[in-house]
This record gives sequence, structure tokens and C-alpha cells, in this order.
Amino acid sequence: MQDFLAYTVLGLCLGSVYAIAATGLVVTYSTSGVFNFAHGAVATFSALIFWQLRFDWGVPAPIAIFLTIFVFAPLIGVILETVVIRGLRGTSEVTRLVTPIAVLLGVNGAATWIWFRGGSRNIVPKKFFGGSKVDILGQAVFYHQLIGVGIAVVVAIALYVLLFRTRMGVTMRATVDDRTLLMLNGGRPDRMSLFSWAIGASLAGLAGVLLSPQQGALQIFALTLLIFDAYPAAIAGRLRSVPLTYAGAMVLGLSKLYFDWASDAGQKWLALRNMRNAIPALLLFAALLLLPQDRLRGTIVSRTRERFHVPTMKQAVAWGGVLIAVVFMLQTLMSGSAVISLANAMALALLAISLVLLTGYAGEINLAIFTFAGIALIAAWQFDVGPGGLATKESLSVPAILLSICVCAIVGGLIALPALRLRGLYLGLATFAFGIVVYQLVFLQTAPLKADIFGWKFTINFYTTGSLTMPRPDWFGIDFNDQRNFLMLMTVFFAVIGIGLIALRRSAYGRMVVAMKDSPAACATLGLNVTRLKLSVFMLSSGISGLGGLMWACQQRTLPNNNGFDGFQSLTLFMIAVVGGIGYVSGALLAGIFLALLSVVMPNIWGKLGSDYPGLHWLFVSVFGNFTKFVGPALIGIGLGKNPSGIAHQIMEGFRPYRRTPVAAAVWAAGLIGLWFLAWRGVIGNWTFALIVVASAVIVPYVIKAIFADRFEDDELAINGEHLDQIGLGREFRASDRAMLDSALGITSAAAEAEVHHVPA
Amino acid sequence: MSLLECRGVGMKFGGAAALTSVDVRAEANAITGLIGPNGAGKTTLFNCITGLLEPTSGVVLLDDEDITDRPPFKRARGGVARTFQRLELFTSLSVRENIQVAGEIRNRWSRKDRLDAKEECDRVLELLGIAHLADRDVGEIPTGMARRVEMGRALMTRPRILLLDEPASGQDEQETEEFGVLLLHLCENGTAILLVEHDVALVMRVCSFIQVLDFGRIIAAGTPAEIQTNQAVLDAYLGEDQNA
Repeated sequence: MQDFLAYTVLGLCLGSVYAIAATGLVVTYSTSGVFNFAHGAVATFSALIFWQLRFDWGVPAPIAIFLTIFVFAPLIGVILETVVIRGLRGTSEVTRLVTPIAVLLGVNGAATWIWFRGGSRNIVPKKFFGGSKVDILGQAVFYHQLIGVGIAVVVAIALYVLLFRTRMGVTMRATVDDRTLLMLNGGRPDRMSLFSWAIGASLAGLAGVLLSPQQGALQIFALTLLIFDAYPAAIAGRLRSVPLTYAGAMVLGLSKLYFDWASDAGQKWLALRNMRNAIPALLLFAALLLLPQDRLRGTIVSRTRERFHVPTMKQAVAWGGVLIAVVFMLQTLMSGSAVISLANAMALALLAISLVLLTGYAGEINLAIFTFAGIALIAAWQFDVGPGGLATKESLSVPAILLSICVCAIVGGLIALPALRLRGLYLGLATFAFGIVVYQLVFLQTAPLKADIFGWKFTINFYTTGSLTMPRPDWFGIDFNDQRNFLMLMTVFFAVIGIGLIALRRSAYGRMVVAMKDSPAACATLGLNVTRLKLSVFMLSSGISGLGGLMWACQQRTLPNNNGFDGFQSLTLFMIAVVGGIGYVSGALLAGIFLALLSVVMPNIWGKLGSDYPGLHWLFVSVFGNFTKFVGPALIGIGLGKNPSGIAHQIMEGFRPYRRTPVAAAVWAAGLIGLWFLAWRGVIGNWTFALIVVASAVIVPYVIKAIFADRFEDDELAINGEHLDQIGLGREFRASDRAMLDSALGITSAAAEAEVHHVPA
Repeated sequence: MSLLECRGVGMKFGGAAALTSVDVRAEANAITGLIGPNGAGKTTLFNCITGLLEPTSGVVLLDDEDITDRPPFKRARGGVARTFQRLELFTSLSVRENIQVAGEIRNRWSRKDRLDAKEECDRVLELLGIAHLADRDVGEIPTGMARRVEMGRALMTRPRILLLDEPASGQDEQETEEFGVLLLHLCENGTAILLVEHDVALVMRVCSFIQVLDFGRIIAAGTPAEIQTNQAVLDAYLGEDQNA
């Protein structure tokens, strides 16, 4: 009993810190409608700022706390709201989810760049009052923990009063309900939104400062994950209720500590020793399932800014052929290491392509894409390689691939079945929680699980050896252990899946899927069983991610169990896929290329430049290299609000001149083939070839427009990318719009003024 | 026996009662009007009928069969189709695709009576006078035309009763005139209509029976002539000008 009380006290202390973090999430969501995935990153960044001030520079604790919680953290919130969040108006739920993910990666990347760019570093935040303790119910409790309890109570009461008992709170909540209406009633939604993000960031900072000493040496992603643990509490409060969030946080803290008590800190049951880390995700999943059924809603934003063109089947097949031909030609020019980089990009693209169907077409979210890759790997490995842990077969078999696809589809269906009651953000969180649970309980499971079901004894090996080695296929007498051959195999897979997806999008099924994304309510009133359709899409997409994941695993050859399965890589790939253009197959290809470029190729290039020019090593490697690796992916994600349709869409628009002048396009393509031939024969260097290709891609469209001006006359109707008849639609009409319209229509200012004055009252 | 009947339907949002014991009926082969001021509960009642909201009390009967517990898609399969006051178009699809997909959805649940979705789509586009817009992006067309697209989409399911929520808003006088003729044509061809509309002249012209909703309660029901002279309706909605 004494132990129970002691663990209860500790559980309440832990729950209090979660309460602070979770109420911060509630504040930002209930006042801006954006779930701040970057909450953990802001907490981590704040904890590092506090450490810098207090422990590295020796600033007195009260001043360091004041500067961190009341100056720097709110400043981060204000910057995020002003630079990023405001740009998300009129975008889809996917975009509003992805941008904070980009911020998360960016803030964590910036923290890595600032504090850890030299590699590992021992940053150890200390508890307040030097670790002094007080005895409560026989349990020694740190003053640091008691401070957390006190702050949590004060914060909960203050926020409740602010949000529900003050005029400002009502205005803050009204901001998310109807900004326009609020403005018409004299409210200032921008200011309210700014204020709420500042409060949310302050609370994140507070949680970060309080939680960071628990870690020992501070690790950026581990501390961010600790803040993720607070998500179930926020969901328990349905992202709106402060008291329920507080209660949820206490349940969370107590659950973790009671598990410690029951399992003797995880030592009692070997197979469940990672359960402690999975408890928040399990509670998140449970909290999501306990949410009331999401009633069928209509469109939240009547017309989002995302636009995706659907190619014809002829175009799809042609582009599939072009892709295979281009990759074939390129790999002939590439060195072995460059081919590996391109193959990595193609493997990631194969994973990302499953998101085109799920997110691009159906508008659903899967934040555990690498989890499915891991599941596919385990299934194929069990089938082909066997429990001995040593390769008994030398190649990946077709049945193993089919098995992996089926297992992923079934697992996807099983996960989706309860979660499909939910939509958008909640479904995303459910898949994210699933990813973390699988990571903790399956991928980190190195002990074989022995089972005895009605006398049938069997052993399941998940990641018994800590890493799995997957052989590559050996079909048609082609050696796919050769990197170039395997690259071509993946390219063919990508092209075939891409053509298949476009065929599906153009079919009746595809139209239904898109219709479901646009208005589930309208679909249901036409007789469509929306849940069943969603389930089928989720299963199909999971199956594709199984195939992509298997190819990715084969590309990596040996995969340690911590290789990308912890959730962050899934978040990154999802974010980059949306940035690439989630509604386009080419967007998935761009996602693979970007991720490989930013995480591997560019740092390698900076590294090479650093070694070639030792005097500038610090600039190329420490500054540019780390910046590209850690902050680059996030920066392109943060810009998504400006171009929610993705980069693929932008590129297509940029290449419109070629579509209108097929002869010019053919000449350009023939020129490129000629250049490739010269490069292949060694007449020109690879860099020369690459530079000419890139330069011509940028310059030639302008040349074509200049030569064939008559074919682009209707483009004159567009101003800054907006069609003349649509200027001011979907956003606020500005005075500058009127001036541009007058100018485009040839109306002089004086005439326009006169026109205004002659309008009868 | 009415084709569609709401008996004692009530709907509360928290403490606010949007509908209080509402009795509404719509007959087969007839256009029934449902009018009332903004906020009277007309759209809420439509949501209760189509299953997007679960009424807190009362029942919804289709052909005397209780459909209150059925999910929206099953009610649609039973023959209830609707349009929305706030447009619910599939903005990623063209006008043609918006209508065609409804036929394709129908083909999924009505395997015995499948239709050629493309052909039927062309017929509906012609019928509604929007064939010239067929390949336009649905987000680009005027509101009045967009409402016709929604109606066409509902018609593709070949409903027994069509619930129209302010279908004439956004249409000019000429278009409204043509629209009235279209409604009568549909009715003659066997589609019952429950019409929510603020264009009182249109309602009086095409409806054979009108029910008036105010503050979530039915305050009057009768023929157009009866409604135009009903004092409660004049006070709550039509105003004295209508009587003049």
C-alpha cells in the first residue's frame, strides 16, 4: 500500500507536467483550429534556451525563467503564428496538419544546428533547488516536481477562467469558429490568434523546462517525444476542455507510474519492457476511440486552394515511359555512389506513392508510413529468410512480396476500422499512435515471443537480432544485387503503380474517392457507404506502402530496428510528399528525390566542398551542410501555405509553354537526348550536362513564350497567377487588386474615380 | 399515407431547441413547400430527415416505414435525396463528373437496376439546362447554376422524394421561372419534392401544400391560398404586403 501511494504521488507529479504541455495544445487548437505538432519542438527549444541562459552562461534562475517562458517562448509562438499559421487560411486539413509538422522538424533542426552541430554534446539540465526533496506519504519528492504540480494547477485554473469566463477568451474561441463574423462584430482575430499562440508556446516552454531534467543528458528528439506523450491528455479534453485535459494528464501520469510499480520498472515481463514508452500512444488510441462518432460534415472550407490536375491515361503511360527512359539514361552517366543516392530516392518515392491515393485522392492521413514498411519487411523476412536469423534464401520471392502486401493491407484495415469513425487530424493522430506502439512493442522487441495456443506452440521473431537483412529479388536471370538493375526495377514498379493510380483516379472508384474527400455528407446522401469506401482506400494504400516499404528495405539491405521507425521519419516523408504535391504521382517522385537530396546528397556535396577547400570547411560543412540536413526539409514544408498544391503543380504550370508548342518541346527533348549522348560518350562532362539541362529547363519556356506569343495571349488575363475574373475570390480584395484590374482593363484612375462618383446613392 | 412523414421530431443542440415536436409530411407526386424565416429550423429538419442529424425525439417515416435509426446512406438508398443550403459540391470534379459520380454511386447499391451513368448524366445536364457548363470546374460556375448541379446530382439517384434546400437562391427572375417549370415537370414524372425556399412566389406557384415553420415549430399548414391568408404566417414570415 505504501508503494502504491508513493507511485501515486509520483504519477500525479508527472501528470502535472503533462497537463501543462497538453493545455498549451488545447489553447492553440481551440483558438486557431491548428493542431500544433510543433509543440514538443518548441518545448525542447525552450528547454535548451533555459539551459543556455541558466547553466552555460550562469544567468540567475528567476531571470532565466522569465526570459525563457515570458520572452523567448512566446516570441517563437508569435513568429510561428505570423509567418506560418496565417498562411494556412483556406487550405485543406492535410495542409494545416503538415505545416506544423514542418515547423516541428525545422525547430528541432535549428536546435540541432545551434547546439549539436559538432555532434554529440553533454547538455544536462538540472532540477530546481538543486534536487532537494521533501517526504510525502513516504515518498521522497523533488521540489522540482512539486513546482510542476503547483504550476499545473495555477495554469489550468487561469486558462479555464481566461477561455470561458472572460471576454477575451470568448473572442479567442470565436476566432476559430468564424473569423469573418468576428471581424464584422469588431473583433480582431489576428491579434487573438497571435495571443493564443504566444500563450501556447509559453506553456510548451514551461513543460520543456520542467521535463528536461528527467532525461539526464538532453536529447532533442527524445525530449520532443516526451512532449508527444501529452497528446492523449489533450485528446481526452477533445482539444477544447481544460478540466478534461487536466484529468487526462493525471490518468496518463498515473498509468505510467502504476505500470512501473506493477512491472517492477519493466523488469518483470521481458516482452513488455518497452510498454512504458508505449502507454501514452495506447492511451491516445483509446482516447481517440472513445471520442464520439464524428458526424458526417459538409465541407469546412467551401473551396480550398489546393488544385490537382488529373492526367489522361495516354499522358500517364507516356510519362511512365519517359521516367523509365530518363532514369535509364541518367544512371549510365552516374558514378556508383550517385546511383545509390538515386536508388534511395526512388525507394522513398515508392513509399510516398501510397500517400497519393490515401491523402491526395481520399484526403485521409497516415502518419505511420514507415511502420507499414517495417511490417512488410518483417512479414517478408519471416517468409523468405526464416526464424534462424540467417539468410536461408538468397533472393526475395514473389510470394513473400504478395504476403507483405496482404499483411500490410490487413493491418491497415484493422487499424483503420476503429479509427475511420474519425477524420483528418484525429485519424492522423491515431495512425501516429499506432506507429509508436508498433515501434516500441514490435520493432524494439528483440526477445522471441513464445506462444502456446491450445497446445500449438510457436515462436514469433520480430527483430530478434536487432536488425534484419533482406535479400533482393532475383528474377528473369537479372542480378538485382547490382544497384543499377535494382534502381531500374524500382523505377518500373514506380511507373506501373503510378499509371495504375491514375487509372484508378479516372475510374468510377476514383471519382467516388475524390467526392468523399470533398464532401462525405453529400456522398452519404447519395447512398454511398463512406466508411466502407474509406476502409477500402486505407487497405489499398497500406498494401502499396507494403510493396514500397519492401523495396525500400531491399534497397537498404540491412535495417536496424531504430532505422526510421520511431515516427519522425514517417512525419518527414508525409510532409515532403505533401510539399511535392500529394495529389500527383510526380509529387511522390519529387518527395523521394527531395528527401534523398536534403538528407544525403546535399550534405555529401557540402562535405566534398569542405574537404576540397579546407579553409572554408566551417562554412560548407558546419553551416551549409548542417543547415541543409536539419532545417532544409522543414523550410520547404513551412512554405506550403503559399503553394498548397505542391511543387509538382508549380513545375507543371511552369512547363505549360511546352504543352502548347509540341514542336518546340520535341526539339528541346531531342536536344537533351543529344546532350546525353555527348555526355555518355565522354565528349562533355556530367556537370556540364546537368547545368545545361537545368538552365534550359528554366530559360527555354521563356524563349518559347517570346517566339510563340500569339499562343499565350489568354495568359495576359492572368495577373500574378490569378485569372482576371477570379481576382479577389477566396481571399480579401485589396486596393492593389483594383488598380491592377483597372490597368488590365485599360481604365485610367481618373475614369475609375469618375465612375465611382457617378454611382447613384 | 404520406410518402414522407416526420412525427413529433425534436432536435436540441445543448440547451437550445432547434425543432420542437415537428409534424411534417410530403405526399407522393406532389410538391410540398416548407417555408419559414431564417433560423426556423428548416435545414435542421432536412438534416434529421436525411440522417445527418439524429433527432432527439420523434420519428421519420418513409412510406410508413420508420427510418429514424438508419444511417444517411441507407435512407438515400430508400429513395431520399437532397440538395444543401450551403453548397456541398465535389469541388475537385467538373460539373459533368459531379453528376456522373452520383450515378456511379447509385450503380454500386442498385445492382439490379443499373443505369448508364454517362448517358444518364448527359440527359440530366440537358434537363437542367447546364449542358454548356459540363466540362467546367464546378467551383467556377455561378451559384445559381451550382445549385442546379447539386439538384442534378440528387436526381441521378432516381429518388422517390427530393428535398430541395433553397434551390432558387442565386438564380435570376428568368432562371427561377424556368426552374419552376422544371420542378413541375419532375413532379409530373413521379418525383415527390419537399421544397424549402425563400422565393415565396415560386413556392406559391408550384406547391400544392405548404407547411410553415417558425422557431422550430409548425405554425401553419395548408394550400397556398390558405397560407397566404393565415395571420400567424403573415405575422411570422410573409408580412402584410403579401396580403395586399
